[in-house]
Amino acid sequence: MHIHKYEKIWLIFGIGSLFIFLTIVGVSAFAKGNQPPSGLTTIDPEKVDQTPPFNKPGLVKTGDNEYQLNMVASAFSYTPAQVEIPKGAKVTINVTTKDVIHGFEVVGTNINMMVEPGYVNSFTKTFDKTGEYTILCNEYCGAGHHMMTARIKVVD
Amino acid sequence: MANEKIKGKATENSNLKGTLASVFLLGFFLIFTWVSVYFLFLERL
Repeated sequence: MHIHKYEKIWLIFGIGSLFIFLTIVGVSAFAKGNQPPSGLTTIDPEKVDQTPPFNKPGLVKTGDNEYQLNMVASAFSYTPAQVEIPKGAKVTINVTTKDVIHGFEVVGTNINMMVEPGYVNSFTKTFDKTGEYTILCNEYCGAGHHMMTARIKVVD
Repeated sequence: MANEKIKGKATENSNLKGTLASVFLLGFFLIFTWVSVYFLFLERL
């Protein structure tokens, strides 16, 4: 079969890109252990207020410079609405919702979660820069959706 | 087009330079956008 010289070039380029892509995904998944979130942390959405740690939402110190931030989303607010985090702290954010699906995005960071009733979603991040971050809901949740925000203050 | 096919050897000599250029323009555009998004992700870590 005759293949034009240029055709060979772009076929090699395309198939080569595919192999590079698969190699990156493979190394990331099997050697570095990057897996999709399990989605296995569940909670009764009607009993969020009684279930630890969400019965006392807020920042909890769990170790040397390690913290847990437990937050509850509900129409149309987050509890707590404002959090102060010490600079350099490694924070695991756990978030769940009492009613409908909400979003949990910390603007300007990689934290961007969908918060579904019945599930607890988590993300770990080290806050290295002082400043204020806005948390906002990016899943349409009802009439007050656009008002649904909270703040994180990273302080020295 | 039909006439070229009848000539037989048309594919040998057909000029695919433009096709090559467009394929690589699209290819590099895709690579550029993916790499940019990756660097955005790294910057926000």
